[in-house]
Amino acid sequence: MSGRKNEEALKRREFLQLVLGTSAGVLLAPGQAFLRTAGRKETGLKVLVLGMDGLDTVLLDRFLQEGKLPHFQKLAASGTYRPLRSSVPPQSPVAWANFITGTNPGGHAIFDFVHRDPGTYLPVFSASESLPARHNLRLGKLNIPLSGGEIRNLRRGRAFWQILEDHDIPATIFKIPSNYPPVETRQRTFSGMGTPDLKGYYGLFNYYTNEYKTVTEEYGGGGRVHDVYVIGNRVEARIPGPNNPFRQGNPETFVDFKVFIDPVNPVAKIAYQDQEFILREKEWSGWKKIRFDFIPTQGVTGICMFYLKEVRPKFKLYVSPINIDPADPALPLSTPESYSRELARKFGPFFTKGLPADTAALENDVLDEKEFLAQDEIVYQESMAMLEEELRNFRSGLLFYYFSNADQRQHMFFRLIDRNHPAYDEKLASEFGQVIEQTYRQMDRALQLAMEKVDRNTVIVVMSDHGFCPFRRGFNLNTWLLRNGYHVLRPGTRPEEVSLFQGTDWSRTRAYGVGLNALYLNLKGREAQGLVRPEEKEPLLRELAQKLEQVTDPLTGERVILKAYLTSEVYSGAYVHEAPDIILGFNRNYRISWNSPLGSFPRELIEDNPQKWSGDHMTAPDLIPGVLLASRPARLEQPALEDVTAGILTMFGVKIPPEVTGRPLF
Amino acid sequence: MVWWLNRAVGSLFNLIFLPFSSFNPWVAMLVVSLLTALLMLFIYKKTSNQEGIRLVKNRIKARLLEIRLYQTDLRTQLGSQKELLAANLQYLLYNLKPLLVMIVPIFLILAQLNLWFASRPPAPGETFLLKARFIKTVDLERLRLDLETPTGLVVETPPVRIIDEAEVAWRLKVTGPVDEPLVVQVNGERYQKIVPAGKSRLLRVSTVRVKRNLWQELLYPGEKPLPADSLLKQIELRFEPQRLHLLGIGFHWLVAYFLLSIILGLALKGLFRVEI
Repeated sequence: MSGRKNEEALKRREFLQLVLGTSAGVLLAPGQAFLRTAGRKETGLKVLVLGMDGLDTVLLDRFLQEGKLPHFQKLAASGTYRPLRSSVPPQSPVAWANFITGTNPGGHAIFDFVHRDPGTYLPVFSASESLPARHNLRLGKLNIPLSGGEIRNLRRGRAFWQILEDHDIPATIFKIPSNYPPVETRQRTFSGMGTPDLKGYYGLFNYYTNEYKTVTEEYGGGGRVHDVYVIGNRVEARIPGPNNPFRQGNPETFVDFKVFIDPVNPVAKIAYQDQEFILREKEWSGWKKIRFDFIPTQGVTGICMFYLKEVRPKFKLYVSPINIDPADPALPLSTPESYSRELARKFGPFFTKGLPADTAALENDVLDEKEFLAQDEIVYQESMAMLEEELRNFRSGLLFYYFSNADQRQHMFFRLIDRNHPAYDEKLASEFGQVIEQTYRQMDRALQLAMEKVDRNTVIVVMSDHGFCPFRRGFNLNTWLLRNGYHVLRPGTRPEEVSLFQGTDWSRTRAYGVGLNALYLNLKGREAQGLVRPEEKEPLLRELAQKLEQVTDPLTGERVILKAYLTSEVYSGAYVHEAPDIILGFNRNYRISWNSPLGSFPRELIEDNPQKWSGDHMTAPDLIPGVLLASRPARLEQPALEDVTAGILTMFGVKIPPEVTGRPLF
Repeated sequence: MVWWLNRAVGSLFNLIFLPFSSFNPWVAMLVVSLLTALLMLFIYKKTSNQEGIRLVKNRIKARLLEIRLYQTDLRTQLGSQKELLAANLQYLLYNLKPLLVMIVPIFLILAQLNLWFASRPPAPGETFLLKARFIKTVDLERLRLDLETPTGLVVETPPVRIIDEAEVAWRLKVTGPVDEPLVVQVNGERYQKIVPAGKSRLLRVSTVRVKRNLWQELLYPGEKPLPADSLLKQIELRFEPQRLHLLGIGFHWLVAYFLLSIILGLALKGLFRVEI
């Protein structure tokens, strides 16, 4: 990694401290009160929804035509197969929130993975916020929280399972994205995408090696490299845990561990706390419990996996992000709280982090393609086992079940089916070019399992939140704004060295980009140092939209942005005023660059994406619709995500509430 | 000598637990706690000065009453406190003898209960660690080591030799029922280790076989000790710890045992007219 990238990583780290430092106190949040599960009304009809994140119509069509997905074929033939219109923008948290609430982002207030704080212009996570304990007692170096912290789900609007609950219709919602912490309900729900690891990150792996290596500690995730020494065939290191809310300054907790390497054999024993296990080279450990103590009577338990990548000549050990232990959750994972423990009793430890596959480890070459897939295969097998169990217990009402594999693997392996991608590699393509197809086949097997287990009274719905397309080139929105005079830096500032808008002259800046599709005006009365007067807003937005839609890539001659959506025109609902002002709908093959979303100004306006993260879904939603398959014919020719919600409610005879904007699908 | 004692106590526990092997382990725990309570009451009654204890307890009560009655009289208060302290010390002294006597059977019982309640044998498909610990002077890299596994067990990894801890460890996997002991071969010498297995809810699980040594043998009474001249100090199977579950809470067996024995002992002391 270049020195500049290192520097950025440091700045990001500082930022992360700001955003995530509060998470430790939240670990002490009192457990949710025990909740009785929702009324068990026996419904004649049952509805099973399989949410397969990122399933793409183009690819699905191709594999269907090639006869590779017999159960999708069967379902399509029996009822409905349509493209499913995604959200604006078609990002997972936004799209699944559309489905959850049956409305558009103006009604649920999730507009992007990342929002911004209008007071500081800094990015903040859109899905949830952590608040530390309000009152603390300080005794020397000790800090005793006198109240629990709080984690808030920032999604607004009622979830469809809450509406079903009003009518006593039971529902089980397994790992649906945009539901962390799970909203209060008597239904059985388990949180999905958005659930952090035990440190409060979206996934932070640890990598122990005596080889020179750097990795990026990204916004909300990534990894850390620990330099270790092999002395006398022994390695001693520490696994970082959550911050300690009982100590002044909330220092990070650690667990010491030792690795004993055999002098000859490629095998090692790992020991920490009361754990001891042996790993061969290139072997995964399975889940291991780990406890981080704050004070002698207080601590939290997590679970992680070890992977002994290499013993010699270099020592390389990967430790997965520490997931919240479902058997003893330090943070809220489910409703009722006992649901998480019930699953842990049946299945042992399992992935609880929102996006379980460690894409950052593959991106940073800590895991290679084969190793990444081995890890994601564990995710798939866990999901299948739990699906089977949920189907066995599915007697009434609704079951929603989520799969992340297609989304995560398309993000990382699109480069190997796209010969024009900057990261295309002939050799890797020959070995891993079939991964996406194999993943679709695995989704077909999940559907097969469901079709075999449900009875005739069950309507099966398979849906995805968006499709996929290659991410070949990245657009630097903030660089464009800077070059076109909408964003101004203070004199003497070198644009390419800026991160998080350090150096921005807000008194002369009219627009800025934060997040993956969002553009904000520096609006007077809204932003801390707002410049644009309310009456100037509309003309400025139209001017920006028009100019952005004309941006062409000099390398390809293609338009970069197909549509710049004015949110005042495409959103409706109570929270439109919180929305970004413009949502960029990129053209196929394009996306926001890696650095622009966090307030940087790279030199190039449009740059190649050489990274393994090579497939994405930030285009105009019409380009990458999701898929909808159902065992019942649909009334709508061009359904949208929120129409599925309305369809579910009407199937159960529930009147659609006014805040749900979707139309009945069936 | 110790081995024969261990065998005798072990046989007694086998006999006690035999009828309860298919029951919830709490039943066996309740039975053994009840027997312990009875034994301890018997020992206490026979080895303590019952009359002395009764008198000293009365003295304590009297002093407490005195403190309450004469709250405004500082001199009496101080005198009562002094007398109360003395009576308490006397009470502790009376308890010392029975406690010292009780330690012996309690130690033997705890070592036996550890075999029955501490660990869970792995089920087919599960793995565990086998650790062989040697005397410090052994050169592990030159040692001729081999592992003979019975049917139902496979060795999954090559040995990990940890020189400075004189330890060698393997990972084993249970593939089916295990009826024979495994054998660790050290320079041609064969040392057996029982691998407990079975489906019974209550199983005697010996995880450690130690070399001949008084304390070690008393602590790990499950198997005949290794020969005194062996290079091996102990053979250990790392099994998962076991908990006794009640109302969703997992209890360590030691906590359950002490709580139940104390509660039952206090409940029955009146019946057997034991002054505690």
